[in-house]
Amino acid sequence: MSENNNDIVLEMTNIHKSFGKLEVLKGIDLKVTRGEVVAVIGPSGGGKSTLLRCATTLEKVDSGKIVIGGDVLCDTDESGRLSYCNKQLEKEIRSKFGLVFQNFNLFPHFSVRRNITEALIHVHKKSKEEADKICDGLLAKMDLEAKANEYPCNLSGGQQQRVSIARALATNPEIIFFDEPTSALDPELTKGVLTVIKELAKEKMTMVIVTHEMSFARDVADRIVFMDGGVIVEEGPAYELVTNPKQERTKTFLAGY
Amino acid sequence: MELLRTTLLQLGDGFRFTLGIFAFTLLFSIPLGLLVCKGRMSKIKIVSLLCRLYISILRGTPLMLQLFLVYFGPYYLFKANTANVKIGPFDYRFIATIIAFSLNYAAYFAEIFRGGIQSMSQGQYEAATVLGFSRTQTYFKIILPQVTKRVLPSVSNEVITLVKDTSLAKVLSVAEMFTKASAAASSQVSVVPFIVAGAFYYFTNLLVEVIMNRIEKSMSYYS
Ligand SMILES: Nc1ncnc2c1ncn2[C@@H]1O[C@H](COP(=O)(O)OP(=O)(O)OP(=O)(O)O)[C@@H](O)[C@H]1O
Ligand SMILES: [Mg+2]
Repeated sequence: MSENNNDIVLEMTNIHKSFGKLEVLKGIDLKVTRGEVVAVIGPSGGGKSTLLRCATTLEKVDSGKIVIGGDVLCDTDESGRLSYCNKQLEKEIRSKFGLVFQNFNLFPHFSVRRNITEALIHVHKKSKEEADKICDGLLAKMDLEAKANEYPCNLSGGQQQRVSIARALATNPEIIFFDEPTSALDPELTKGVLTVIKELAKEKMTMVIVTHEMSFARDVADRIVFMDGGVIVEEGPAYELVTNPKQERTKTFLAGY
Repeated sequence: MELLRTTLLQLGDGFRFTLGIFAFTLLFSIPLGLLVCKGRMSKIKIVSLLCRLYISILRGTPLMLQLFLVYFGPYYLFKANTANVKIGPFDYRFIATIIAFSLNYAAYFAEIFRGGIQSMSQGQYEAATVLGFSRTQTYFKIILPQVTKRVLPSVSNEVITLVKDTSLAKVLSVAEMFTKASAAASSQVSVVPFIVAGAFYYFTNLLVEVIMNRIEKSMSYYS
């Protein structure tokens, strides 16, 4: 199958982003095709989270172009003028991706079930029955059937993160972003979360995963992007990049693992 | 014994007004406090500044003075005749009391709410945003319920203070319980009416405490 535009789920072109005087993203290009799993690695402060936050509308870029699922979130014309899409389209774009946070950000006052179904019912206007059905399916997949009526505070960190993955999956997005999904977890709890993500990769879910778990990135990702200092220093097939990095900075970084 | 009975009846009669001041003040000051809090946190500089000023002045001056201002202000400033102002069964004395109390308590509530809202993590807003919730949905479904739980202990404090503060309405000669108690005390030349009044306040607040504890408990299913 040839790579037509339909197969590109995320396209970020020449993304620039500064916080005050600090230039955090210095012209990032990232393309993710349908079914692809991309891991983003790199030292702290390199701009990985900022990149995800720009893609997920939580931060506005200073210039560049972002296309998600065929819809243009923002674009910059020749004269350098940046324009974002209207609110209606932005809302539509938001339904095309999911985001999993490092610290889960579950809604503590909602049960597990409501965490997952609330957006389905009130944003996507599904019936309660439909939403419950989707929720039950996801909880089974996350090995959390018994927890539907628990509150997040009664779950382990690993379970909470799996609920938040279920919440991100519920609206059937075209792509899911993960920002260090296991960094807030005790080592023995990371396994369950990584297993779930591996399952999703097998099902050809399109994913962009910022992670410090190098062996996980190597085994699960199709492609690894190494970011440092606001630029993509090196990218390539996962196994190759980890075992045979070309750039000095990549080598130095990987030597730390 | 007969004297105690009449005292109880007199104070009970005044207690209706005490409860009235209490209930109406809560009814108006909480929404107003929410509004002032929103204004205080507004990105529009002038709105935020005005709300700040409002809070600062109402918290920084005596409630008694505010009562006088609201009651006598219209006459001294505009020569307005307030004697005939009436809303339902309530005369301007009572209305002025409600206005002053509501304005005053709104300032305190605004600051309590602000503390609660600012203690919410940015992550809650962000999670709601990427799930597609509108700003209104985020506010009413995600933020406000959690803020309610957080501010409840401070709100309880204010409510208990309010029960006692209603006695300040005496300065406008509103026929509330403390006014009645003072009158009874001087006519009987006895402190008994004050003790009875004290018991009224105390047991009202005991009830307030029980109710607020109940509400707190009903929200303790998560932490
Ligand atoms: N809202 C913000 N305001 C100001 N500076 C910010 C903001 N967010 C991020 N930064 C800065 O931008 C730089 C990149 O941050 P970012 O969080 O994207 O890095 P990261 O690669 O995700 O790092 P880590 O591995 O530690 O998560 C850092 O220097 C950070 O301090
Ligand atoms: Mg980060």
